[in-house]
Amino acid sequence: MKAIVALLLMSALPVQAHHAFAAEFDIKRPIKLRGVVTKLDWINPHSWIHIDAKGPDGKVVAWMIEGGSPNALLRLGFTKDALPIGSDIVVQGFQAKDGSNRGVGQTVSFADGRKLFLGGSAPGANPEDIK
Amino acid sequence: MARGIGVLIGLSAAAFCQTPNLEGIWTNATVVPLERPANLKGKEFYTPEEAGENAKKVLGITSWERLGSQADVHYNMSQYGLDLSQVKIASTLRTSMIVGPDGRIPPLTSEAQKRAADRAAANRGHQFDSYENRPLQERCLIYSTEGPPMMPGAYNSNLQIIQSPGYVAILQEMIHSARIIPTDASPHLAANIRQWFGDSRGHWEGDTLVVDTTNFTDKNPFHGSSKDLHLIEKFRRLDAHTMLYEFTADDPSTWARPWTAQMTWTTVEGPLFEFACHEGNLGLPNTLSGARAAERAK
Repeated sequence: MKAIVALLLMSALPVQAHHAFAAEFDIKRPIKLRGVVTKLDWINPHSWIHIDAKGPDGKVVAWMIEGGSPNALLRLGFTKDALPIGSDIVVQGFQAKDGSNRGVGQTVSFADGRKLFLGGSAPGANPEDIK
Repeated sequence: MARGIGVLIGLSAAAFCQTPNLEGIWTNATVVPLERPANLKGKEFYTPEEAGENAKKVLGITSWERLGSQADVHYNMSQYGLDLSQVKIASTLRTSMIVGPDGRIPPLTSEAQKRAADRAAANRGHQFDSYENRPLQERCLIYSTEGPPMMPGAYNSNLQIIQSPGYVAILQEMIHSARIIPTDASPHLAANIRQWFGDSRGHWEGDTLVVDTTNFTDKNPFHGSSKDLHLIEKFRRLDAHTMLYEFTADDPSTWARPWTAQMTWTTVEGPLFEFACHEGNLGLPNTLSGARAAERAK
């Protein structure tokens, strides 16, 4: 019963993203990268984090990682400076279908394990307040 | 001549001062679905306790979980503050936006079903031919929730209302279009002029702004609607921080009867951030280049 209720909720609420992710990224090409941030495109419809990642052969390769719209983070006071150039980060995600060095950052963390950004909760988001 | 203009401005300003003030930055983010879940048939409103329980249940599911299988190749929305549990939401006891005992969109007429089937058939196998085959929102032209009627999206469900004598302007954060609504009793555009957002004309009925929209296209149907959709929206400010937004959709070739939905909005802190979707839309070229790579691999 619980599963049925969850399914109903899932079908009833908006879940659409800006574009079809499965058309852009390839589930058969998982990536795990560690690299240094060289640039942050704090733009819509998706933010892009540029990193220089060192491969197993020691060669440095430039990657671009797609993330979410920055608007909500801006509203919560996060700016481009939340991710300084030179930060050492770890990206887990999937590579672009065209095989280029672009990927979606499913989860993005600092090298010490802290997750990047994290919006937190806005006032009024407490379920107890929703009546 | 100068005196005449002075009188006109004076009259206009006076009329404006008497109109209700809907201005502000609002959010229409909600835990309430458009259509009532089947298990709540006949129950239009929750008790306050039930509403709290429902909100807890809905907000307990992250977007990540709601995306289901799509989440495999998606970024975690919570990391970017885009989860419904991370934004302000207005209070309401409604179990569905659609009002009345049924709480569902009336079934599509056979004509509307055929229209939808024809559209799907025309696009089948051609979804990735060119940017012109991609959805309007993926092309950063208009967003699927912009309407009218204006619906909440998965995130950034914010909008701003600005009033001036003779006009009400509405800017939705997703994604960049401003609705400029004349309230000067001017008639609709000629029937041969069709626009993505239709042609909206407003007037005041007491404390309510009533907006009548016609002249839609057949390019962005609202739940299967045709270009002949006739939409009536009503905006009424209940208090400093609460707006009641209602729309009635009437389109005899699509639904056997008109249907009405209601949403409660609440104010959020500004400013509204520019979305500027088009300039950074790398997803569209990546999607098409992905399709070309898949074709080469065949």
